[in-house]
Order: sequence, then structure tokens, then C-alpha cells
Amino acid sequence: MKPRQLLALIIVPLGLIIAAVPQNKTNPYKLTAEELLNEANTKTQFISPDDVADMIISKNPSLRLIDVRSQEDFEKFSLPGAINIPAQELLSGEYTDILNQDVKMNVFYSNSSVNAGEAWMVTRQLGYSNNYVLEGGLNYWFDVIMNPQRPASTSSDEELAKYDFRVSAGHALGGGGSIIQSTPGQSSSTAKPAIKTVPRKKKAAGGC
Amino acid sequence: MGPLAPNELISENTNFLLAFLIGTGFGWVLESSGFSSSRKLAGVFYGYDMVVLKVFFTGAVTCMLGLLFMSLFGWIDLELVYVNPTYLTSAIIGGVVMGAGFIMGGFCPGTSFCAASIGKIDAMVFIGGLFLGVYGFAFTYGWWEKLYMAAYLGEPKVSKSLGLSDGLFGLFLILIALAMFWAAEWAEQKFQREEY
Repeated sequence: MKPRQLLALIIVPLGLIIAAVPQNKTNPYKLTAEELLNEANTKTQFISPDDVADMIISKNPSLRLIDVRSQEDFEKFSLPGAINIPAQELLSGEYTDILNQDVKMNVFYSNSSVNAGEAWMVTRQLGYSNNYVLEGGLNYWFDVIMNPQRPASTSSDEELAKYDFRVSAGHALGGGGSIIQSTPGQSSSTAKPAIKTVPRKKKAAGGC
Repeated sequence: MGPLAPNELISENTNFLLAFLIGTGFGWVLESSGFSSSRKLAGVFYGYDMVVLKVFFTGAVTCMLGLLFMSLFGWIDLELVYVNPTYLTSAIIGGVVMGAGFIMGGFCPGTSFCAASIGKIDAMVFIGGLFLGVYGFAFTYGWWEKLYMAAYLGEPKVSKSLGLSDGLFGLFLILIALAMFWAAEWAEQKFQREEY
């Protein structure tokens, strides 16, 4: 038997099998339930409103706010620069490029952090990274950024600095109403929360 | 599970070690099947020796079947496998330049290193030319950039653009490969050379 015929005898049946079976389209879950639970418990998925406000004001290009509420709610109110991906459309495939990437830092938000947390869980389960949740959602955002409560005068410098930042951030984002009252001898730069930069994952490359 | 490196199941260093071992194996197979003779590669273009075509087509079909079956068994996520992005214009021009180089030089980059390692002077000259080309292109990149980047198609798959499943396209490719092997052996008979 010629080598060509022998080869044909092997690869043609294999080709027939692979043509006949349905394509494996199941996107296997990248994390087991236990891993996901552990990760959720670390709370590292939460980004504080202060960090988000600072990134919006400093026009940090890596920030991408994703509103997971309905389109109706989104049109009524949304954070500056946010895009709308209603929670039920997360898996539609239309938004995969946005959710599965390693350049931007996606921050989900909803009214509380429940729906946004669900969105984070789904994307995490699919193995996507760089997705985060706005801590406390819009309600908490309004409490701390738009209408911050002045801490007691006996509070630590850190607390007061945070308050100063929140008042000025609230003003810059078109909310608030409080008057900025800096305590003398306190630089406002201490209020700046550190911005977490997301390290870019290297893409595997190949070639002949 | 797979691919191993993008899923960080093995470190980058292990990845390099595996690449080294596979590369060594590849070179050994090239040399032992006579690819370090420039007549072997030139033979494809004159039709008297089609071994190169048969070997590489068999390699491609084996690899394709392996990946499709591993994907079927859930051993590898094909979405994560690196695919060279396609720039159509530069692919066509590059293909013509490479093909012309193959006929004139009698080597492809891999076989030239193989032949140089067993001391063939023509292969060393070929490698010199290869580096001249690489540096020449790099230093004049500005002139070519527009052409080089033209007709970007992303990472297209033939099966997708034909609307076929990967498996069905795989079967067609196997049949095409077998037809090519048959044609190649017919050509070897027709353009037979006694001594080369």
C-alpha cells in the first residue's frame, strides 16, 4: 500500500468524524464555584466612589463605567462617560469586546451594588478580568460624593481630607451644595486616593 | 485547560523550554528528511520532488485535526489560540517575495539554518541575505508602512467566511490535501530526474 493511501485511510475517517460532530461551543467556566466564592469574599472587585470620582475628574482614559440598569434608567441619569449594558444583555455576545479585554478598567454600577455584583460574577465566571463594581452603587455615590456629610471636627485628618475631596468632587461632577471649608494647614492632595492601574496582560504571539 | 501559556498553566520560561525542544525536534526532522538540500525545495517548483509540499500539508492537516479534536474534548480553548492577524496586501506581496526567494535560494528560513548547521556554505550565504532583508526592511519601514498595513482583515477564518462549521471545512481540507498528494505524485513521475 502506498503511503498516500495509508494516510488517506487514517485522516479521511477522522475528517468525517470531525465534520459530523457538532462544534464544541460550550464556553467552559474558567472558575469553579469555590474559586469564585473565595474571590468574591476578598472584596477586591469593589472600587470606592472616591476612586471612581477621582478617575472621572482626572479624565483617566483607562476608566470605563458600565451602567447595568435598564436603558430607561440610564437615560434618566448616568455617571459621566458611562455606557449602558443592561444586565440581561450581558451574555448576548454583542458586548464581548467591551467586557473581555485587558486595556480598560470596567466598573459596573447599578442603583445598589446587587445587579452590578451579579454582572461582575457572570463576567468573572467566563474568565474575563479587569471588571470591577462601584461600591454601594449609585445610592452610596449620592450619599458620599453628591451630598457628603461633614465629619465631626474631632475626626482624623484623613477623614477631613476625604470630606474635602468629596465636596470638591461633588462640585466638579455637578452635584453637592456644600461649601468647601478647608481646614487650615491641611493639603488637599492627601485626599487623593491612589489610582489602581491595571497591568496590561501580554498577548501570546507566534509565528513561523 | 489549554492553551498552556495563555492560561498560565506553565510559566513563560517553561514555554521557552518547550519551544526550544520542539524547535530542535523540527530541525532534526528537517535534516533527516533531506530538507537541508536546496534541490529538495527547488524541486517543488520544477515538479520533480514534492516531498516539501507533502510534508508541510501533512503537518498542517495533522495539526488541524489535533486542534479540532482537542477542542471537541474540551482540552483547548480555540478562542485563546493566537492567530496571526491578516493584512491582505502584505500577505500577497510577502508570499510572492518569499516564493521567489525559495526558488532562487533553494531554502526557506528553517531549512537554511538546518543546512548551515551541517556546514553548507550556500545556506550561510542565504542566511546573510535573510538578515540583510530583515534589517533593510526594518530601517526603511517608514516607506512601506502604508502598504504593510493595508487591507487589514482582523483574524479571519476561512470556515467562517464560507459559513461552514470548522469540522466540515476540515474534511474539505483533508480531501483537498489528498488530491494534492495525488497530483504531486503524478508530477514527480512526469518531471522525473535521474540524479539530483
